[in-house]
Amino acid sequence: MLRRAFGPTAWLLDEVDEPAALALGIAAASIVGVEEVVPAESTVLVHCRRTEWASIGERLDTIGPAPRSVDSPDVLEIDVVYDGDDLDAVAVATGLGVDEIIERHETCLYQVAFCGFSPGFGYLRGLDPLLHLPRRSSPRTIVPAGAVAIAAGYSAVYPTASPGGWHLIGTTVTELWDTEADPPAALWPGRPVRFRRIGP
Amino acid sequence: MTHPALRVVELGRSTTLQDLGRVGRADLGVPRAGAVDREAHDLMNRLVGNDADAASIETNGGLIVEALRPVIVAADGFRHTLGAGQRLTIEGRRERMWSYLAVRGGIDVDPVMGSRSQDTLAGIGPPRLTVGTELPVGPDPASALPVDHVPLRRPPEVIRLWTGPRAEWLVDGLDSLLGRSWTVSGAVSRVGVRLEVGEFAWAMQRRLASEGLVEGAVQITPSGEPIIMLANHPTTGGYPVVAVVEPADLGAVAQSPPGTNLRFIAA
Repeated sequence: MLRRAFGPTAWLLDEVDEPAALALGIAAASIVGVEEVVPAESTVLVHCRRTEWASIGERLDTIGPAPRSVDSPDVLEIDVVYDGDDLDAVAVATGLGVDEIIERHETCLYQVAFCGFSPGFGYLRGLDPLLHLPRRSSPRTIVPAGAVAIAAGYSAVYPTASPGGWHLIGTTVTELWDTEADPPAALWPGRPVRFRRIGP
Repeated sequence: MTHPALRVVELGRSTTLQDLGRVGRADLGVPRAGAVDREAHDLMNRLVGNDADAASIETNGGLIVEALRPVIVAADGFRHTLGAGQRLTIEGRRERMWSYLAVRGGIDVDPVMGSRSQDTLAGIGPPRLTVGTELPVGPDPASALPVDHVPLRRPPEVIRLWTGPRAEWLVDGLDSLLGRSWTVSGAVSRVGVRLEVGEFAWAMQRRLASEGLVEGAVQITPSGEPIIMLANHPTTGGYPVVAVVEPADLGAVAQSPPGTNLRFIAA
């Protein structure tokens, strides 16, 4: 892991093996002056009060990832109807049948690697390698809230309606974003996730 | 809820409610948002005796409000007392992008996730303002009002830069941005300010996995456009951040209209 200065108020921890677990470890340390801890694909950004910046930097070198909690009661179960508009296209692209796509997607145990793109949009790692596809060549201008999708080696659920370039394979009615809730996102970095097929 | 005290008569351009923003949930993809020129927001609040976290109205100009009861307001460096039915117009200003209208007591709509900021990227926050919106104002803070006007600082055109986490992607690092002037392009918003294209000698160029951003981060796009992130920036970005603007100079960057020439020096 490399610690890089990100101006006078932030540190970028680079080449991190498990950013979500490290971010949870940093958050658990409750360091005075830390305002934001943002895990991403291979980094963790720590944004702090300027007066504490130097001392927080030294403190970060001593903090490790939080222990894995894959079997914890925190597992989020997301009920899915596999009715996505792109199921047939995914079948063509992967060479798998629709039933096998659904079975492979439903069997995996996922974990929120990081959030981004829009509030509450979690990148779920753990997707079956046979389902790894690039994004659609042309993004949709509107993807409805609750759309279950795959792309870029991840699975995801659109928490709110937004434009989107991922392949849509299903729909959930599980609420994933509520500004009145604490936390407002059901998908927070590090949280384990399972999909459960309901309906047809 | 308190009785409404101000009504929006003309909305003007890019007019939103802003405060100091939502801090602490960037890990969920929630932008901080808040006033893009926090110093100006803070100054107008002080003119009416509010704390800095009171919500004000941020506008690019063209805003007209009408008082529904007597209120004390401040905008563009001056405090005014408006009687019921009196209107105040905030004109656009050639030399600055953003004006702030503060009201004694603060605009008191219900906060969302701890802030009254209307996030213009993710859409989080109180309902959008529109013509006819009636805004409640909080209780009088009972603070003294020692001054009734302040000179607005002319934004400095020399901006201090710190080294960013990906400076080594450029052969000359931070120095690549120094020693010349940069023109602010037409792409200016609450999210960021784009500068005109420069020529950069890259030491490396590869795909960068998206990583966290802070306000003031200077990204360079593959085509050589520096983009300076402002208050409503996305929580992550995929271009290398080679420099970071000194936080005290961010208001000046945010206030720079298209065509402004900015120069950078090392902080």
